[in-house]
Amino acid sequence: MADKSFFIDTTKCTACRGCQIACKQWNMNPGTKTVQRGSHQNPEDLSYFTYKLVRFSELEVDGKPRWYFFPDQCRHCVQPPCKMMAESIGVKAITRDEATGAVLYDPKVKVKADEFKQIRESCPWDIPRWDQKTQGMAKCTMCFDRIKEGLLPACVKTCPTGTMNFGDRDKMLEMAQQRLKDVKAMYPKAQLLNYDFHRAIFLVVDEPARYHKFASADTTIIAALGKFINPVQNISQLAG
Amino acid sequence: MKVITRRNFLKTSGVAAAGLALSQLGFDMSPIQAYAAELRTELRIKGAKETPTVCCYCSVGCGILVSTDSKGKVINAEGDPDHPISEGCLCPKGGSSYQIAVNENRLSKVRYRAPNSDKWKEVSWEWALNRIAANIKKSRDKSFTEKNADGKVVNRTNGIASVGSAAMDNEECWLYQKFLRSLGLVYIEHQARI
Repeated sequence: MADKSFFIDTTKCTACRGCQIACKQWNMNPGTKTVQRGSHQNPEDLSYFTYKLVRFSELEVDGKPRWYFFPDQCRHCVQPPCKMMAESIGVKAITRDEATGAVLYDPKVKVKADEFKQIRESCPWDIPRWDQKTQGMAKCTMCFDRIKEGLLPACVKTCPTGTMNFGDRDKMLEMAQQRLKDVKAMYPKAQLLNYDFHRAIFLVVDEPARYHKFASADTTIIAALGKFINPVQNISQLAG
Repeated sequence: MKVITRRNFLKTSGVAAAGLALSQLGFDMSPIQAYAAELRTELRIKGAKETPTVCCYCSVGCGILVSTDSKGKVINAEGDPDHPISEGCLCPKGGSSYQIAVNENRLSKVRYRAPNSDKWKEVSWEWALNRIAANIKKSRDKSFTEKNADGKVVNRTNGIASVGSAAMDNEECWLYQKFLRSLGLVYIEHQARI
């Protein structure tokens, strides 16, 4: 099995939230109680029970109303900072599948609140979530059980518009580059977000922050994180 | 009698298994919640029976594959990749169709509220169907019109109207329409237009 990636083309997203529901359905996660906040985005944020969330951002740009849709999820980093951080503080909840590249959390491993805080802060895309009751962490699993059997992840399988794509990394990168070329003519600000660093390649056509605060990360920060965490990890290995 | 649903069953067996594992390791057995998240590595629909169906919601008619376990319980429902219309895709409504079958809020017994009563009571299917049939017969006999004012044969009943149903699939709609027309109904409506 070659290493895998998502290509998430936000230009095609209609925010139907099919992916969000398919994710809940397949992972057998319950609904979360929400309140009306004046936004179509529901629930408000990712959680221990919500791995996939279509974020709605309603802005006024140059005097015109703009609506940005961002189907947020774990990026499955090539070198996951959450894993590095967890290892450096002795938390054994995070693994990375060599064959697919999926970054996996084991919710059965108990993580303390302050340990989780450090792990969440290490993620430039603000993905890890924790449950106070079970003390476990959970997030998108890349539908590891499905992709192992050659099935598409639930979110990709259900997507009616072609926003969500999944496959071998080289094919997805090729697809992303081609689509970027196609949409550049109409949207000069079109770009692929941090695609060197992770496996959920988002195509956006405006400034990433307009979609979501954590849509894109400053790549120098990611590089620095790796340098910062690695020596700590080495020390803890020596000590342990 | 307490009915054991799949969810309850999983809940109980999950708690039991986790409890056993934890107690063997000598850990504190704190209660785990109903939906204990787990990292599944095995496909949970492996070996399940797959039945193709058509989504019961809008007129697009997307294909759904329903997986059932050896006891016939629905364990998953997702888009049918071989379906010519939807090719495996589903919108959030179709995507949640699993919950039509497996839902603790779904009524599992027939409930009846008598005229002028403010209470519901549970009745048997047999009683309810017989009562509906008797009422249909009564209204139809009373209002059946063989010929209209001009003497033309119409064979219709104006005493009964049908409103519904948004949650029927193509085949069910066909049967329902046949049934209503054979009774002579002309007021056949769908609640989406009201």
